[in-house]
Amino acid sequence: MATTGTRVSSFSPNLSSVKSSQHPGLKNGPNGTTFISSGISDLDKILGGGFTLGSLVMIMEDAEAPHHMLLLRNFMSQGLLHRQPLLYSSPSKDPRGFLGTLPSPGSSKDDIAREPSHEKDLRIAWQYKKYFGEPQLNINSNNGGQHDYCNDLDLRKPLERHFFTSNNVNCVSIQNSPNLDVLKDRCAEFLAQFSRNEGGSSSAGRIAIQSFCSPQCKYSDMEWHMLSFIRSLKGMARSSNVVIVVTFPPSLLSPSCSKRLQHMADTLLSVRAIPDEDKELAKLLTGYQDMVGLLNVHKVARLNTQVPVILEATTFSIKLQKRRYLVFECLNQAPVDGSGGSSYGNSDGCSRSTKAGSLDF
Amino acid sequence: MAESVCRSLRDGALEGELAPTLTIKDSLASPFGFNVFSHILVQLSSQIVAGKSQSQGMVIVALSRSPSSYIDLLKMNGVDVESSKKWIHILDCYTDPLGWKDKTRKSGDITDPSNQILSSYKTVKDVNRLFSVICDLGRGLVGGSKSRFCVAIDSLSELLRHSSVQSVASLLSNLRSHEQISCIFGLLHSDLHEERAVAAVEYTSSMVASVDPFHHSVDGQGSNLGNSSRQNLTKGKFNVRSKRRNGRVRVTCEEFRVEPSGISFAPVSSVDGAAVAVAGLIPKVQFNLQLSEKERVDRSRVVLPFEHQGTGKPIQIYDGRRSLEDSNNEATPISGGKKEDSGRGEIIYYRDSDDEMPDSDEDPDDDLDI
Repeated sequence: MATTGTRVSSFSPNLSSVKSSQHPGLKNGPNGTTFISSGISDLDKILGGGFTLGSLVMIMEDAEAPHHMLLLRNFMSQGLLHRQPLLYSSPSKDPRGFLGTLPSPGSSKDDIAREPSHEKDLRIAWQYKKYFGEPQLNINSNNGGQHDYCNDLDLRKPLERHFFTSNNVNCVSIQNSPNLDVLKDRCAEFLAQFSRNEGGSSSAGRIAIQSFCSPQCKYSDMEWHMLSFIRSLKGMARSSNVVIVVTFPPSLLSPSCSKRLQHMADTLLSVRAIPDEDKELAKLLTGYQDMVGLLNVHKVARLNTQVPVILEATTFSIKLQKRRYLVFECLNQAPVDGSGGSSYGNSDGCSRSTKAGSLDF
Repeated sequence: MAESVCRSLRDGALEGELAPTLTIKDSLASPFGFNVFSHILVQLSSQIVAGKSQSQGMVIVALSRSPSSYIDLLKMNGVDVESSKKWIHILDCYTDPLGWKDKTRKSGDITDPSNQILSSYKTVKDVNRLFSVICDLGRGLVGGSKSRFCVAIDSLSELLRHSSVQSVASLLSNLRSHEQISCIFGLLHSDLHEERAVAAVEYTSSMVASVDPFHHSVDGQGSNLGNSSRQNLTKGKFNVRSKRRNGRVRVTCEEFRVEPSGISFAPVSSVDGAAVAVAGLIPKVQFNLQLSEKERVDRSRVVLPFEHQGTGKPIQIYDGRRSLEDSNNEATPISGGKKEDSGRGEIIYYRDSDDEMPDSDEDPDDDLDI
């Protein structure tokens, strides 16, 4: 007698193991790591899930553009939405004032419509990758909890005050401190709450240090002091459930110090300004009108493994969709002769596309 | 563009934003920074007097020129300095910046009480005090909390000479975030300082205008300087990089010309001047099927193996085999010493039989002469 009912096997694939059920703000990653969202869904996708807990993220600023502030705002706001305690330090007199500029989740009415701009003329050949992106997006949104993990933050809508008037936001101003010891003590105090040794990994914290070696800070010429601060911060971060984001302007440091700081990062990003109303760039890139800058991903954190991440593309354009939502897109370059100049010549020397991505015909 | 620079200084700062800050950068190759500075000073002053700008007063921090020269400059350009409504104040850090006269003469402050416009400042090294003095003077000019004034710093280079980069940068950022300051502009001689100092000042400013010569001479300073001094004595390029609110950088280029009456700006005449280095920003992803000029020249120089090389003699092309004459020549030394032969490692081809036609293993292409 064959049963026609469904067989319930004792082995059922546990699909829910992919997402963490403990906390909406955390996601299980490979090799026993946990991710928290950066606040920007595109960046989470590029990094393979988000920022790894216990890692140090460094963002290299461009002296001519404030894009690192956009990244910081999204990072901080996402943490506050998930009730993750935050420590924020900046070289201004009143860091708390910055909290008023944090974005809030956008209303569900305006979804980010990701329809690629349909170019009517025959340029589809080199833009085909845009169309391949669609099915992947559907898969991601089907994952339950995708919306909770990373919110679409509207940069024009300030975050409600109740998120940061509670005790979970600490601000430190490093403008007047002669050295970094004050900041180091505050960070150590903060990190002690999230120590991994105590077991429960339900809570995560975030530290955001803005413009770390800004020239108005008194310690900005004490390079070894700054390097040892970052090194100890990284060591403390490894044994806690915290992500530390530090932004710094590399052009204001000596090249060796800047290189050392870059090597210390687990995840290294850089933002760059683009010239305004530049006809050359407008011819070279589509969507130039909406772009506000460029993002380069130099390094992606890989904890508990020796296998590196090799990205398909490392340069992305920063766009503000509807002037509210921060979006990163792969560059779509028109096939022009890339003549002259050194190939892959870059001030940092790290940013390049792999060969597979280069044949964008 | 000089016009847009003056306009942004005139419009000043929005509520809650940092004040626009202009740094005028020049160098020995084109030392006309002060001409640009005075041009902007005169423009902004006339707009303040006419009431067209956000700022209602101006504080000039005079470090490298005497205050009277500014008064003369403004008078010469038709700006009313001694109007009834006091709108300008010059902080004299030029006469005695470090307070040496006080120490030698042991006399009190030599401020002329009748002169409402000047006040002397004797402790340039104390940047914090300088900041508070500037703020007090400005507030004295414009009064209440809603009105704003602007600050002109004659030479940031002089300030950097007296105090550290950190203090100058913190002075600039404090001035920028002061709610009563409308705009700030200052002059900097870039070749007097380390790159990092210049980078720090550029980091804190929102507009950087550099006064450059027409042609940057990288090598051969002697001859080039001689040329430039003869031809481009009064002309040069005015490059402005302004940071816009949306995060993009507006890059403009103009030509300027220094005349006895002042400085004039004109759009760039030659086309080759503006070469924006866009290639460095985005990764170079296309492979290039065109040849550049250098590559074309090199390609024409490549000697192909079958092209005309011979001078009439039959072409001897080395193809790994040895011709008969060579092996015959080698015969004597080979028979002589076996040891040398093994050391050299040659392959010596001995014909298998004498039946073979002597020319059978020659390459028929050997005597090709294209």
